Amino acid sequence: MTCDELRGEYGAWALGIAEDPALSEIAAHLARECPACIAGVRSAMATAAALSGAVTETDPPKHLRRRIIAMVAPEPRRAFVFLPWVVSGLLAIALLSVAVSGRRQAAESGPDVTKLAQALAILNDPVAKDVTFGDPAARGRVFVSPKGIVLIAAHLPKLAFGRTFELWILPAAGKPVPAGTFDGETISNGSNGSNGSSAVYVYRGSTANAAAVAVTVEPEGGSPQPTSTPFIVTKL
Amino acid sequence: MSVSIDEKRTVFEVPARVRPARSYPFTPHSRYPHRSGFRCNNFDRMMIPGLILALELSGQHDEELARRLQRHDPDAMKELYDRFGRLAYSVVLAIVRNSPTAEDLVQETFLRVWNRIHAFEPGRGALGPWLLAIARNRAIDHVRSSASRMERNAFELDVREHPTLFVDMAREVENTDHARVIRAAIAKLNPNQQKVIELAYYEGLSQPEMAERMGQPLGTIKTWVRAALAILRQELGQEVPA
Repeated sequence: MTCDELRGEYGAWALGIAEDPALSEIAAHLARECPACIAGVRSAMATAAALSGAVTETDPPKHLRRRIIAMVAPEPRRAFVFLPWVVSGLLAIALLSVAVSGRRQAAESGPDVTKLAQALAILNDPVAKDVTFGDPAARGRVFVSPKGIVLIAAHLPKLAFGRTFELWILPAAGKPVPAGTFDGETISNGSNGSNGSSAVYVYRGSTANAAAVAVTVEPEGGSPQPTSTPFIVTKL
Repeated sequence: MSVSIDEKRTVFEVPARVRPARSYPFTPHSRYPHRSGFRCNNFDRMMIPGLILALELSGQHDEELARRLQRHDPDAMKELYDRFGRLAYSVVLAIVRNSPTAEDLVQETFLRVWNRIHAFEPGRGALGPWLLAIARNRAIDHVRSSASRMERNAFELDVREHPTLFVDMAREVENTDHARVIRAAIAKLNPNQQKVIELAYYEGLSQPEMAERMGQPLGTIKTWVRAALAILRQELGQEVPA
C-alpha cells in the first residue's frame, strides 16, 4: 500500500486496532524508515497519548513506589521475597544466572511478578516440553507449552547498539514465526543488553506445530522474518 | 453474544460545561454510577492537577531526566515515578480494574522504560507519552483475549512503543491545559464515536470485536473510528503532516 492509502490508518495503528493489510503495511513502512509514515504515526501517537488525560486519577498504593525504586536500587533488599512461591527450577536458574554475571545490576534481578507468573504457567503445564541446549555460542534451557515459551539462556553474544535478540518458532513446514524480542528485559544486565550475557524470556502465544525454536540477532524492534543466522536452534 | 452498549461502562470523563445540553443515550454514568470507575460532570474539581503539573514539568526536564535514566541513576527512577507513577497507575487501573494487577503492570512499565531508555532521544523524546503508551499496552495486553493476543504478537507491541515514535510531540501536548483540551475534544465526538474510542483505548477491542459488541457492521465501526480520531487530532491541533 502507498503512504497515501495508509494515512487514514495511522490513528487506528497507534491505538493498536489497525487491521491487516494496513497493520503489516505500516509496520513494513516503518521498518524501512519511510519518512511520511514515521511522521504520520508520530502524530497519531501524540493523539493516542493525549487520551490518557481523560482518565480519572487514582492514587497508587504507597508501597508501589518502594517496589519500583527497589527494582533499581544499588542494594537489592527484597531479592528473596518471592522465593517461597517458586516451586520449579526457574528462579534457581535465574538467580544462578544473576550470580554468574558480576556486573549485573539490581534492576533486572528485581521481582517481575507478572513475568514470573507467566513463566510458571508455562512451566507447570503438564504437556510442556523441556529441552536443554548447549550451542557453542549460548547455553540454556527452553520450555515449550501450547500456551507459550520460556527461554533461559546464558552466554548470549554481545549485542551491537540498536540490535536485539528475537525468538522464532520454527514450524515443521513453512516460515519461522516471530515470537518476540528480548534484550535484557528480565535479568540481562545494563543498558540495552549490550553487555548482557543472560536472559530469561517469556513468550505468550500459540506454539502450534512448533518443531524447533531459534534465536537470532535482529535490528531493534525485531524483524518479521529472520535477517541473520540463528545462534540458537533447538529441536523440540 | 451481542451486548447492549448502554450496559457497558463509559470511561471518558466529559466536562459538564462543554457537554451538549442533551444527555447522550450512551452515557451510563448517571444510570449506572457504580459501574464506572470514572467520575463525570465534575470537571472543575477534576482538573487533574497532578497531570497538569506532570506535563508541564516534563517539558522542562525530560531531557535531563532521560539522560540520567540512560546513566541508570536510581534517583532518576524516583523522579520518573514521582512524575508519572500516579498517571500510569490510573491508566492501567482504568483498564484492568484490579489494583494488584495494576501494580504489577506499572512495575513492568517502569522496568521497561529503564531497560529501553537507551533508544530514547533525550533532546526530542516525550517521556510521558512514551511511558503512558507502554503502560496502556501492558494493560491492554493483559485484558485481551488469548486469541486476540496471538494475532497481535509481541513484535507488533514492540514496534508500537518504540521510543523513536515519541519524539517532537511533547510541546504540543504539554504547553496547553491538557486535561481540559482532551476532554473538550472528546466532548466533540458523537456518542458512537466516543464509544468506539473508549472500547479501543480502554478495552483494546479490535474493530471486528467492536462491531460484534455494538451490533454494527464492520464498515460502520471503521468509519466511526476514523472520524473520531480525525476530530480528536484536529481538536488537539495534531495535523497529520502531508
